[in-house]
Amino acid sequence: SCARDSGAVFTFGKTRLAENIPSKFWFKNDVPIYLSCGDEHTALITGNNKLYMFGSNNWGQLGLGSKSAVYRPICVKALKSEKVKLAACGRNHTLVSTAEGGNVYATGGNNEGQLGLGDTEERNSFHLISFFTSRHKIKQLSAGANISAALTEDGELFMWGDNSEGQIGLNSISNVYVPRQVTVGKPISWISCGYYHSAFVTMEGKLYTFGEPECGKLGLPSEQLINHRKPQLVSGISEKVIQVACGGGHTVVLTEKAVYTFGQGRFGQLGLGSFIFQAPEPAILEHVKDQKIRHISCGENHTALITDVGHMYTFGDGRHGKLGLGLENFTNQFVPTLCSHFSKFIIHLVACGGCHMLIFAIPRR
Amino acid sequence: DSDDIIVIPISQKYLKADSEKMCIEIISLAFYPEAEVMSDENIKQVYVEYKFYDIPLSETETPISLRKPRAGEEIHFHFSKVIDLDPLEQKGRRQFLFTMLNGEDPDQGHLKFTVVSEPMDDENKECQEVGYAYLELWQILESGRDILQEELDIVSPEDQVTPIGRLKISLQAAAALHAIYKEMTEDLFL
Ligand SMILES: [Mg+2]
Ligand SMILES: [Mg+2]
Repeated sequence: SCARDSGAVFTFGKTRLAENIPSKFWFKNDVPIYLSCGDEHTALITGNNKLYMFGSNNWGQLGLGSKSAVYRPICVKALKSEKVKLAACGRNHTLVSTAEGGNVYATGGNNEGQLGLGDTEERNSFHLISFFTSRHKIKQLSAGANISAALTEDGELFMWGDNSEGQIGLNSISNVYVPRQVTVGKPISWISCGYYHSAFVTMEGKLYTFGEPECGKLGLPSEQLINHRKPQLVSGISEKVIQVACGGGHTVVLTEKAVYTFGQGRFGQLGLGSFIFQAPEPAILEHVKDQKIRHISCGENHTALITDVGHMYTFGDGRHGKLGLGLENFTNQFVPTLCSHFSKFIIHLVACGGCHMLIFAIPRR
Repeated sequence: DSDDIIVIPISQKYLKADSEKMCIEIISLAFYPEAEVMSDENIKQVYVEYKFYDIPLSETETPISLRKPRAGEEIHFHFSKVIDLDPLEQKGRRQFLFTMLNGEDPDQGHLKFTVVSEPMDDENKECQEVGYAYLELWQILESGRDILQEELDIVSPEDQVTPIGRLKISLQAAAALHAIYKEMTEDLFL
């Protein structure tokens, strides 16, 4: 099959694919259904439930049984007999979950127990996290810098790894080497791990944040920051919250009415204009108030938004072309900027990483 | 299974050799707290530009202005531009660079960056140059190394000497400057 009709994955920034030249790729007999970008690596899941990995691999985060970097997508054969459904790429590790068996696997760096295997030994192939049994139907995975999270269909959240700043919400406990439930007594519908902070959304639409308190990325008034090691309600947003995305130092929130940003914004990743480089509490993204935003995504220093008709806006660090706004000359963007090169495509998937971004786009009829 | 994937570059253009292009990045800037530009309330936002031979100024200035930084704060443009130095198609640019390497250009072999104050949209004022920074090209040829994330002094336009801040830039041109210098000096012996 050809990219003409069934679409292609487009890569931007330092993907390590094809010497970091902007590229595209597609499958002869398959289609991407899920993308995840970590700090320097990428996971892709196809409609046939196969897992492909590429990028840096110095921690074994690609799960291919070695620590050599990979410069084009390679299928993880060890998982071929399973139906891979979800993936999450963190700074130096990767989590995947499978359909049917409901297994969760981890590979890569493990200094803080982020693999959930009960120890701190790194792995270079996917290992089963025995904590999760078939009764845990995994709805979402997320991975940050040395932290991991798994959310079940019935709203239970489990986190593990580094808790030195409370970034897995377990208060005074330091590291956790096996999954531990994080709860505020209400079912949870969405989880995002940033590099050093995390956030979740409850099914009733409330936002909670926890982790490193600096730079405003928790979106809490200063008197609440002392309790940063436990999930706290972000009261600055009153309407129903749908999604949250956490980057390296910023947070982006999608509600039924608007998009909010807060935290560190010196490269423009808050999208609040060329005069605002930091926001301590949620600020409305005025620039897209007339758009219907369907999906939000944060990389370490940039942000991507997809609209209901499949257009994409990006902002933040423009280095290496990761914003997808040009192929050779780059700049930081301080307001959401339409990716006009893709106006004739419907963008179905986006994943933002440390210095790269991938999209899956299909030509509009 | 990996044969089931087709990977192609979006454009062949980006496979150009290092010796046939240069890349200039205006990264960030900061002002010293005591510099007059900091206390001047008329200066609210700034951008940075440079001039390069035949390239329109609109292409060698940062696309946006950013709020003037506060004391201790840096503002980050990350504005990078690739300049084509194809040996057949860009003879003029290559000759211009050779002139600079010999110090025979108006800025005596230096690439000049200008920090400019831009008035706000509703202000009826002109842009105003608030500082200059200079990068000597010869050092790149001499060392054989690109300039990466280097801080240049920004000097005041009044006396061209008083430092008022720092401008961080990168310039990847070592391969191109070497090729140009070799080509131009070889011609002298023919
Ligand atoms: Mg991430
Ligand atoms: Mg990085």
